[in-house]
Amino acid sequence: MAADNLQEEKPPLFPSWGWWYVLVIAWLLLLVVLFYLFTKTFS
Amino acid sequence: MSPLDWMVLIGTLTVIIFYGVWKSRGQRNMESYFLDNQSMPWYIILLSIIGTQASAITFISAPGQAYTDGMRFVQYYFGLPLAMVVLCITFVPIFHKLKVYTAYEFLEQRFDLKTRTLASSLFLIQRGLSTGISICAPSIILSSLLGWNLYWTNMIMGGLLIIYTVAGGTRAVAYTQTFQLAIIFGGMFLAGWMVVHLLPADIGFKQALQVSGKMDKLNVIVTKFDWQDKYNIWSGVIGGFFLALSYFGTDQSQVGRYLTAKSIKESRMGLLMNGLVKVPMQFLILLIGALVFVFYLYFRAPIFFNEAQLARVHKTEQGPALQKLEDQYNELGSLKQQQVRQLAAALETGNHAQIASAKKALQQTDDQSQEVRTEALSLIKESDPTADTNDTNYIFLHFVVNSLPKGLVGLLIAIIFLAAWGSIAAALNSLASTTVIDVYKRLYNEHASEEHYLKISKLWTLIWGVFCILVAQFAGSLGSLIEVVNVLGSWFYGVILGIFMVAFYLKRVGGTATFWAAIIGEIVVLVIYWTGTVSFLWLNAIGCMLVVLLGWIFQYFVKEKVIKEI
Repeated sequence: MAADNLQEEKPPLFPSWGWWYVLVIAWLLLLVVLFYLFTKTFS
Repeated sequence: MSPLDWMVLIGTLTVIIFYGVWKSRGQRNMESYFLDNQSMPWYIILLSIIGTQASAITFISAPGQAYTDGMRFVQYYFGLPLAMVVLCITFVPIFHKLKVYTAYEFLEQRFDLKTRTLASSLFLIQRGLSTGISICAPSIILSSLLGWNLYWTNMIMGGLLIIYTVAGGTRAVAYTQTFQLAIIFGGMFLAGWMVVHLLPADIGFKQALQVSGKMDKLNVIVTKFDWQDKYNIWSGVIGGFFLALSYFGTDQSQVGRYLTAKSIKESRMGLLMNGLVKVPMQFLILLIGALVFVFYLYFRAPIFFNEAQLARVHKTEQGPALQKLEDQYNELGSLKQQQVRQLAAALETGNHAQIASAKKALQQTDDQSQEVRTEALSLIKESDPTADTNDTNYIFLHFVVNSLPKGLVGLLIAIIFLAAWGSIAAALNSLASTTVIDVYKRLYNEHASEEHYLKISKLWTLIWGVFCILVAQFAGSLGSLIEVVNVLGSWFYGVILGIFMVAFYLKRVGGTATFWAAIIGEIVVLVIYWTGTVSFLWLNAIGCMLVVLLGWIFQYFVKEKVIKEI
């Protein structure tokens, strides 16, 4: 399989892999905010 | 353990072995043995990645870590999702494009044979020794808690999985990991539920969280930066990122998992899903430890959770002094039981003054308990200078063995074995693939038949299994084994990551410059460690930076034409 074809393989749900990368980073940020609120709420 | 526990333990382990052997059918060549013909869907890749990373110590140690230090350890995993993104962009497309069996094959295509051989040799030394220690670490804890013979525990911990790992290769490893994780998560959920269930009737999950939070165990996020502090959000994101990148990008035990995907898309999905689920998973495991802390506020906790060690001290001349300290500790424990009830009642009323007063009283008593415990630890060390006075790894299993109902104890002990098997099986598979692909086939026998390579692959899986058990039998005297594994990793990981960083990002640096940069980098790392200049935690970063920097400098002195277009 050529490299170009590999790069172009479409991801599920989103039009490009960039959306998946943004989702993973956004999820991490959301978790950090939720954990911060969790820490503050119970401290 | 009761007969029911033994039945659950033996039954669970037997089912896994038979399942692994059943999944072993149809191995005809090296590609099916090491890559399962690149047929795995993303969810098997995901579970295999998790099963490889989560060793027995993950499930034993993490709850104990939350018990002693709170939940801030979860920040250590904050760099992992970022590393998954970098891997998907850089490493995965290249590994798939080159159709490699091991990560180190890529290094020959990018650099040369000597750099490939160096990286694979460093991996074999590090992974071979650390797998042996990974067998021994949970065995020592189980043998101490349950009175089992250490040598036989090592044999079962590292030996039984060899049956299906030799027979079925990567396929058996991946599918048993999937089954193992289902049992592990089910058992851990039951253990977490039982902690809350065993608390007094008027204390529910919310109240337990409130008490735990007031005692600073729910400190998930620490924003203050401190070089001396291992677990804060900054060290978690930056340090965790480099650690995850080197582990998932250059350690064949992980690379070998996602190379089995049926397409680049499935590899990426497995890694990205790992980036989504890993942090919440660790959060939940740590939460169990924070709840176990509340449990031991309501019920008596031992002064030292490794009770076998305590029993040994009682037989020495320090015994009477230790007994006195234990009596003091128990009295303070009784006082804490009253005070935690007062704190829970105050939390119920919502009266801030009452809450602050009850919290202060409980914390003062807890501080006094810690002082008494510190004296007891000194006594233990005095009576046995070789004793490990860190009992973090014994806390969760002490709770399991002494507080959970019959049957569930057997299941939780089985979980420790399964978690160990999952990571050890992947390690043996990767050791065999690196030995056969990067050493045997490349250097000694390049043109044999597929049947021959399959036989040799199975033989090397067996040889590495035996080697790791032998290492485990001698590792018991090395002190804190968790630290030994981390130190071993820090000697080699940084240099290996540095080689891959040069390969990916410094296109003008060639093999000879990188090879000598890695050799000198490795020597410098070892010298820094032996002189004790910095903590071993920094060696990863130092090793990686040294290889990148020296490689870049050496390239100016090496008359070598570079660039191989990958």
